This record gives sequence, C-alpha cells and structure tokens, in this order.
Amino acid sequence: MARTQAHWWFVGPALFLMVVILLMPIGIAGLLSFTEYSLGNPDAHWVGLDNYSKILTRSTYEKMFGATFRYVFVVVPLSVGLGLGAALLIHSTRRFSDLYKTIYFLPVMAALIAMAIVWEFALHPTIGIVNRTLEQGCGTFLETWGWYAEGCANGFPTWLTDRHYAIWTVAFIGVWQGFGFNMVLYLAGLTSVPRELYHAAEMDGARSAWDRFRLVTWPMLGPTTVFVVTISFIRSFQVFDTVEAFYPQGGGPSKSVYVMMFAIYEKAIQQNLMGIGAAITVVFLAFVMLLTVIQRWLVERRVHYA
Amino acid sequence: MSAIHLDSIRKSFGETPVLKNIDLSIRAGEFLTLVGPSGCGKSTLLRILAGLEAPSAGSVSIGDRVVNGVRPANRNLAMVFQSYALYPHLSIEDNMMTPLRLRDLSTAGRLPWIGPLLAREKYREMRRQVEETARVLRIEPLLQRKPGQLSGGQRQRAALGRAMVRKPVAFLMDEPLSNLDAALRIHMRSELAELHRSLKTTFVYVTHDQAEALTMSDRMAVMMDGDILQLGAPDEIYNNPQDIRVAEFVGAPKINLLPGVIDSAGQARCGDVVLSRVGVGAASEKVTIGLRPEHLELAGGDEKGSLTGRLVHRENLGADLYLHLSVQDGAHRMVVRTAPHEIGRVSIGDDVRFVRKRGEAMVFGADGKRIRLSETPAAAVPEVA
Repeated sequence: MARTQAHWWFVGPALFLMVVILLMPIGIAGLLSFTEYSLGNPDAHWVGLDNYSKILTRSTYEKMFGATFRYVFVVVPLSVGLGLGAALLIHSTRRFSDLYKTIYFLPVMAALIAMAIVWEFALHPTIGIVNRTLEQGCGTFLETWGWYAEGCANGFPTWLTDRHYAIWTVAFIGVWQGFGFNMVLYLAGLTSVPRELYHAAEMDGARSAWDRFRLVTWPMLGPTTVFVVTISFIRSFQVFDTVEAFYPQGGGPSKSVYVMMFAIYEKAIQQNLMGIGAAITVVFLAFVMLLTVIQRWLVERRVHYA
Repeated sequence: MSAIHLDSIRKSFGETPVLKNIDLSIRAGEFLTLVGPSGCGKSTLLRILAGLEAPSAGSVSIGDRVVNGVRPANRNLAMVFQSYALYPHLSIEDNMMTPLRLRDLSTAGRLPWIGPLLAREKYREMRRQVEETARVLRIEPLLQRKPGQLSGGQRQRAALGRAMVRKPVAFLMDEPLSNLDAALRIHMRSELAELHRSLKTTFVYVTHDQAEALTMSDRMAVMMDGDILQLGAPDEIYNNPQDIRVAEFVGAPKINLLPGVIDSAGQARCGDVVLSRVGVGAASEKVTIGLRPEHLELAGGDEKGSLTGRLVHRENLGADLYLHLSVQDGAHRMVVRTAPHEIGRVSIGDDVRFVRKRGEAMVFGADGKRIRLSETPAAAVPEVA
C-alpha cells in the first residue's frame, strides 16, 4: 500500500476545529488563571498560584463552594429520585400516561428566566401565593408544628431573600425544573427492560414490588442511572440562570447563593478580573472532568453486563 | 409430586378467542409436550398454568388445590424461558441462588452483607444445593461467570439450573431449545429427556417443533386454533392421528394427502386405485387419503394398484432418500421414502411407479376427522392392493 498524505485531509478539518474551539480556549483559560490579566490590560503579570490560593482561602470562595455543593447535593438526589419515581408510576399505568409525561416535562421545556419571574411572584414575602396560602392554615391543627406556629406569629420566611432559606429555595426550583428531564430518560430506560425478566422473577418467588425492583428494575436501569446522575451533576454545577434572574447583584442574601457559574460571570465579566475568573473556570472544569471519569469507569466496570 | 388439572380453560384477548375450552390432565411425573404451530395458544396455556396469565374461564389445579387465585410465586412451579431470562447482572451462582434466596430466607437474611452473617447456616445449605445442581448439569466451572460471558447452550443449562435448584412441583418450559443451533438442539433433546428420567418430576414442555415433541415426551398434546386436537403418546399421535390437521402437522416430511371417494363397496379410492378399505361409511363421500412417505415403496413392475409419478426432486439424507413425485399430471405432489441403494439410476423427470404397503393408509372425512377402518375385510373384494 502506498503511503499517501490523504489521511490528513480526512482528519484535518475535525482536528483543526477541535484544537481551535475546544483545546485552545481551555489551554488559554489555564494560562490566564496564573495571571492577573483583565480585558484591555496589555501587560498582565504572572502571579503563579496566587489566584488558586485566593480561591482556597478567601471567605467569598468558601461561600461559593458552600452554595454550589449545597445546591448540587440537594438537586442531584432529589431530581434523580423523583425522576425515577415518576417514571415508574407513569410506566405502570396506561391511562393518561401521555398527559402525565407532558405535564412533568413542561418545566424542562419552559424558559427558566421566564419561570424565575413567575417563582419570584409566587414566593413574594407578602403578596406571593405561597405565603398567602400558608397564612390560610394559621389557627388550624397545622400550628401544632412548631415551625408553622412560628411562621404564624412572626411571619413566614421571605424565601428568596432570607439567607437561611435562599439556597434551598433555589435548589427546590432546580429540582422542579430538572426532574422531568430525568423522568424522560428513565422512561426510555424502562421500555428496554425485557418483560420476561419480570416473569422469571415472579416464578422465582419475588412476591413484593420491592423484590422485583431490586432484582430486575434497578440493575437493568444501571446504565441509565449512571448517565442520569452524571448529567444531573453537570447540569447542577452549571446552574446560573435562576441565580442571575433572582439576584442580578451579588449572589443572594449574604452570598448564600453564590454558585460557581455565577462567580465566574461576576469576576470575569462584571468585574473584569479575568485571572481569577479563569482560575474558577479551571476548578469547575476539574470537577466536571472528575465526574466524567467516574462515569466512564462505572459504565465500563459495573453496569454493562454483556 | 402432584398431578395438574386444567378444567375448561378459556382465554380471549379482547374479542379474539385464543383458547377454547381446554381440558387437560397432566399426570404426576410425566413429560407432556404441548405442540402446535405458532399462534395456536400453547404458550398462553403454559402461562395460564404458571399463573403469569389469568384464564377468562375455567380452573387450574395442582394436586387437589385450585390455584386460580394463587400468584405464580406461590405455585411452586419453575419455568425455563425461550430467552432464558437470566439476570444479566448476577453471576450464574447468584442466578441459581435467587429462587432459594427469595423463598427460604427471611427479610433480614436477604439484606446485603449482613444477611449472610445472620443466616450463615442457611447460606451454606443454599450454596450446597447450587453446587449439587451445577454438578448434575456440569456447569460448575461457569458458576462465577455472568450470563453475558456464556454461549447459548451454557446459558440454557444455567436457566435449567435456576429452575431445578429448588425442587419444584413441575417444570414449565417455553420453547427452551429454539435459540440453539441445530446440532446442539438435537443433543439437548436427549439430555432433557435423560434429565426428566433422573429427576422424575413433571415436565410441561411447549414447542412448535414436532420432532422435539415426538422424541422427548411421554405424551403430547397437539394444539391448533386454541383447541387440543389430540392427546396421546407420540407413537399413537404419529401412527393413528384422529384429525387431518394432526396428521399433517406431525411427521417430517409431511404426510401425503390425496383426494378420493368411498365407493359402494366401502373402499376408499383415488381415481382407479383402491387405497384402503373403510367400514360402513357412506358411499361416494368425498374423503382425503393420507399416506406417510414410509408407507409407500417403489413398485417392481406393473403391480396392481400402483401409482405413477414424475420425479421432480430427490432429497438425500444419507440413510434415507426422499423422492418428490408429481402425480396426476402435477395436481398433487407425493413424497416416497426409499433407501439410496433401492433407487438405482432414476433421474429428475423420469416416471416412477410406487405402491402403498399393506394396511397403512389413513382416511379422513370431509370434516377432517378420521374414518375408522373396518375390522373385518369385506370378502367380496379379495385382492385389494
């Protein structure tokens, strides 16, 4: 076979594009993270690991990690669990299943900025429907619940503007918005579980729904679960639009909702501190990379049985 | 061990009736095959017996107990599926252990990690049972593997092992051999039959392959269009079919069928050739005469009652040679079995004369039912071929 240069013509365009639009930006971000570069500043100084040590020591960034991990570790389990639960329920019924699918999927399709405005109205401390509804319950048996009695006496939380509640409220909206997507992925996974396995489980003596779930459904959904969990992790690390819509200035009450994406945006774009912004980006990339590596490892080791 | 009775079982899916009033008694310890073309309802009947499907009417009883309302898990039957349905994430050992684990262990004993510690004695006993079964099936080296790493035949054995390990009342098998290649299928036929002999448990076996039914079963039930047409020992089904559909379905190559009439002397004849003597049937009734390929032989000379056909195809199976003949100017096709050494040098397109062996023809009436042969030959017709 004659050696030709033709192969370069086949891989060349893809290779070129990959380097220019994927690898080079990452490399440049990596380089910038060691400088104090800002846009329009011609001579940036090399600052070594300064930016990273700032990220690890300053309280702002401690809050950033706190908010990000709170959000991620609430949204991922809840949206995966609810997605699986909804998928199992919808899969088990034939009536109205299309209707349920549509309803649960609506928040995924809706523009989150628009939805954020709706939530802002609903959660408004005085005129919002949430607190109005809660006030209706005052004077009933609900007051036996200490938290409720406290709310009736001193006013219910202000949700989005209370620093104790803000991150959880934002996480709740994240779950509300995200679990429909996981449900659709799980529904697709459920259709590929062979029916004969359920019959075999029944013949083998799996009497309860839990036995069947443990023996057949959950293992057969393994590949789907790994994918769903990874996607959910990445999506929750990337949360930005709700935070930006609720708190355009500064990441919520006492920076309690100061998630990573918002920090990057604030530092690099709003304050023009490219160096520190790039450093946060690199840390973010490391997290996502780690998750992807774990996913690959799990998929290859554990969940593909063939 | 207990007998299984199915009483007037009916099943319809929507408007479509699938099973029409099936009565079937399965003796304790027998190998019963349900055989029929696809769509005849045989798998549905098996699934009703297993409890995976509820009958529209009728009752299922195991021993003396009516089990209609009993869920499959409590019927103590084991099933082998066509796709084997092994749990792909578990090793073969764990697959075989699953029925024991689900039946014999308490909820606490089934907990991961802690369970084996709590019920150590039971786990040891279960492992012993699995190993014993694996030894019988000769799959011991495979116990630690996952189903995905096994060949079709090995998976088949593993599925059998999972069914055998807990000593059920009966084994239900839904086409367990149809995913295997031809050679292995024939090998597994004899192996399953031997297994049945050594286990002495009831086997209910569903297949569309009449050869499997003939070779393995103690009794076979031929099903068609939701009915059991005939139930009996394989010999009887083959030699003495009561319905033309049974005669056609069982036997390969298929039985030869010729249209005929019953003449005034009570003989079934096809054209001029008298093929069989019938009892006091109505004269000039239209009948169908069935002759199996091995009931025909090549005629030496111009024997009386012989038929002539043009050879259109020869099928050499080594020990046997099947001649496909076109008779009555191509209106019918008949298959004659000969031995390769008998045929000599006949080539495609030649005319071949053949005659039936004495007393072998089957006569079916217009409704497809068998017409009984008369016990005593009519004296007026001495020399009937």
